[in-house]
Amino acid sequence: MSHRYDITVPSLFRWRGLTKGRNAMRRTIQMIIALFLPVLLCGQVNAQHSGPYVGAFIGGNALMKAKSSDDKGTFSLTFDPALQGNAVLGWDLPPGSSAGEGRIELEYSRRSNPLDKETFAEGSFAGGGNVTAESLLLNCYGVFHDKTLWAPYLGIGAGVVRIKASDLTVAGQPLSNDSDVVFAYQVGTGIDITLTDHLSLDLGYRFFGSTRPQFTEVNGRKFYMDYLSHSAVFGLRVGF
Amino acid sequence: MVKLLWSGVVMVMLLSGCGWDGTPTRKNDFIPLTSIEIVADSPTIAVSRTIAKNTSTTLSVKGNFSGLYTSDVTDQVVWTSDTPAVAGFAVASVPNRVSGLIPGSTTLTATVGNVTATFNLTVSDATITEMTITPVNPTITKGSNMQFVVNGTFVDPATSDTTTQDLTFDASWLSSATEVATVGVTAANKGLAHAVATGTATISATFDGVTRSSLLTVTEPVLQSIAVTPANPSVLTLSSEPFKATGTYSDGSAVDLTSQVAWSSSNAGIATIASSGTASTLTQGNSTINATLDGVSGSTILKVTGGNLTGIVPSVAAITLVKGTVARISATGTFSNSTTRDITGVVAWSAANTAVTVTAPGGNLAWLNASAVTPTSVPTIITAKYGTFTATTTVTVTAPTLQSIAISQTSLDLTAGTSSRLTATGTFKDNNGTITTQDVTASADWTSSAATTASVGNAGLAKGRVSGATAGSGSATITATYGGKSASTAVTVRTRIIQSLTMSGPASAAAGNMVSFTATASYIDGTSKDVTEDATWTIDTPNVALLADSQNQPGQIVAVAPGSATFSASFGGMSKNATVIIQ
Repeated sequence: MSHRYDITVPSLFRWRGLTKGRNAMRRTIQMIIALFLPVLLCGQVNAQHSGPYVGAFIGGNALMKAKSSDDKGTFSLTFDPALQGNAVLGWDLPPGSSAGEGRIELEYSRRSNPLDKETFAEGSFAGGGNVTAESLLLNCYGVFHDKTLWAPYLGIGAGVVRIKASDLTVAGQPLSNDSDVVFAYQVGTGIDITLTDHLSLDLGYRFFGSTRPQFTEVNGRKFYMDYLSHSAVFGLRVGF
Repeated sequence: MVKLLWSGVVMVMLLSGCGWDGTPTRKNDFIPLTSIEIVADSPTIAVSRTIAKNTSTTLSVKGNFSGLYTSDVTDQVVWTSDTPAVAGFAVASVPNRVSGLIPGSTTLTATVGNVTATFNLTVSDATITEMTITPVNPTITKGSNMQFVVNGTFVDPATSDTTTQDLTFDASWLSSATEVATVGVTAANKGLAHAVATGTATISATFDGVTRSSLLTVTEPVLQSIAVTPANPSVLTLSSEPFKATGTYSDGSAVDLTSQVAWSSSNAGIATIASSGTASTLTQGNSTINATLDGVSGSTILKVTGGNLTGIVPSVAAITLVKGTVARISATGTFSNSTTRDITGVVAWSAANTAVTVTAPGGNLAWLNASAVTPTSVPTIITAKYGTFTATTTVTVTAPTLQSIAISQTSLDLTAGTSSRLTATGTFKDNNGTITTQDVTASADWTSSAATTASVGNAGLAKGRVSGATAGSGSATITATYGGKSASTAVTVRTRIIQSLTMSGPASAAAGNMVSFTATASYIDGTSKDVTEDATWTIDTPNVALLADSQNQPGQIVAVAPGSATFSASFGGMSKNATVIIQ
């Protein structure tokens, strides 16, 4: 089993003289590839873990263009992509469990997207501020184990999310600074790669949504906005 | 395989859209309005900023929002004139219209919030020298509108300057024949003619003693669209569906054009349609039903369900009847979707000779009429045919001697407002001494000794059906007479108070199948009665399921297409519903 980490990828570490941001991104990619390549190239599967686990994830998040509406009509909010972080505490169901093979977990996640622009009837205007979502979801995943190195999984989750519109502006003019707590849901899929009996790597995709939060505009009106996002995450889970 | 499916799910999720793509409707009022500009709607006025006395013009205001964008804010403006005697805003319904009253100058001010702009307006002493009206002698269809416009040419006596102004608002309008066309005289519709009826009307505009006219001709309304109803119906194979075409004309009128349009079906193998608009369904599938008239078309999609016919099964393969009697016969269709249903009313019935005839009075009802004895070895062949499918029944007619008749029940306890069926059976003896019996219910003559208490049906399928009067109690004797023999039954009618109504039947059915429900009334005295034939049956979604044959098959429905339908029975002031799922 320990032979799985013998492969090195020296060429991946030769990049020099790049900007700080690029270096950070490339270091991340190097780490991912360094972690994945041995796994993908090696042979046998470790024993399937069952029992409690904790995990941490990081990834990229794209908040979809949001339809917003108040009593004067509809407008849209467009956001920049951003990083997101997740922490999970869960339980791997044992093989042959009557509930099926998979896991149940409690997940905290945070994503904060800068407002890029607003589009009104007159056109688009530069936006400012952030929309931040902090959610607590109960997720259930089905994992499709077989004798290969990786196992795909598919699952759903539900819970609550606090969405905060922080100092949103329209062309420098204040739009809203408010927050709301609403119902949230998530559909997730990805692959589990078992590294050891207690350590697994997760490369996943999440579609996260909520019922429409309501915020107060600077003029006192209430407006609702859609909150739907796509995320690509990777992380490690440690079982006990 | 699991991983392949998982990959598909991932792809679907990744392609699940990028957010709202609609058109914003909200105006951006978060950006401060920093300046406004007044613009006269008439270019001529914009240049000269002068109007003739007794004329008017509208002004618009364009707002500048912090230099980021401009937007029309006319509807938010408060208008003032520093010399209202010269020019003012006197039209309440059009607050941005300024009217010149006497020669002179004035400064007009527009205010939006705390932002203002001014506009210097001069009212001249110019007089009108020429006026034109457009369009000249137009023709429109009944129900439509035509906006007339008049323009005046003015000459200022002081400067000899010539200007042209739109006088549509300032002129007075008149129609010579309001029964043909009216013309608007209010601030909101000046010069707008509306065609009321065919004919001609002279539309006149007068300003400062100058009048110009235009002859408006109103023609018959034009067909604009055709709607075909019912819209997108689902109909069983081997059925008829009447369609209706309703035309909408330019005057807004709706006319039933069912008998005037040309009907067509896009797939004659699925459904054909007659010139009357009635479609006949043949096989499963969709066909577009079109109605066309004068180049205008309307259509709807007819969905034909219930499977394709694969065979016909008669209710009896062979039967022997006594000469002069009648018997009911039916045909059941078998379909490609493994369903069966009664198609008695759909097939064509025929007899090989005149010894037996078949009559089909309507619905799913057909009768065999034994009118002449057939040789034992040569029975009459009765054929039920639909398309290329046929089924036969052999009918042998004999002439034995009637010995007696008997009624199925010697006494009958009947609840007021309900009915029960009695059957009469004849006992016959032939020349060989062989005794036979036959149901002669449909051949007997049925009478009641007290029809106001208990009546009995004596025609067609109603023969032998005894109905208790709606209210009241009493007794009657029901007699069946056939071939000179009689039998009687004593009927007692009692008034009972209904306590509840129950309905039973299947919860689901396959499209194309016929299913039966029963309705049972329970009374306060503890008795109950099957009132299926006495109840009124309705169904709410004919595209999903419909009544089989309300006259001959009460309580029965035919499943048409997948969905849910509510089937209801009403009796004795009570009603009961059942939801039927069609699969």
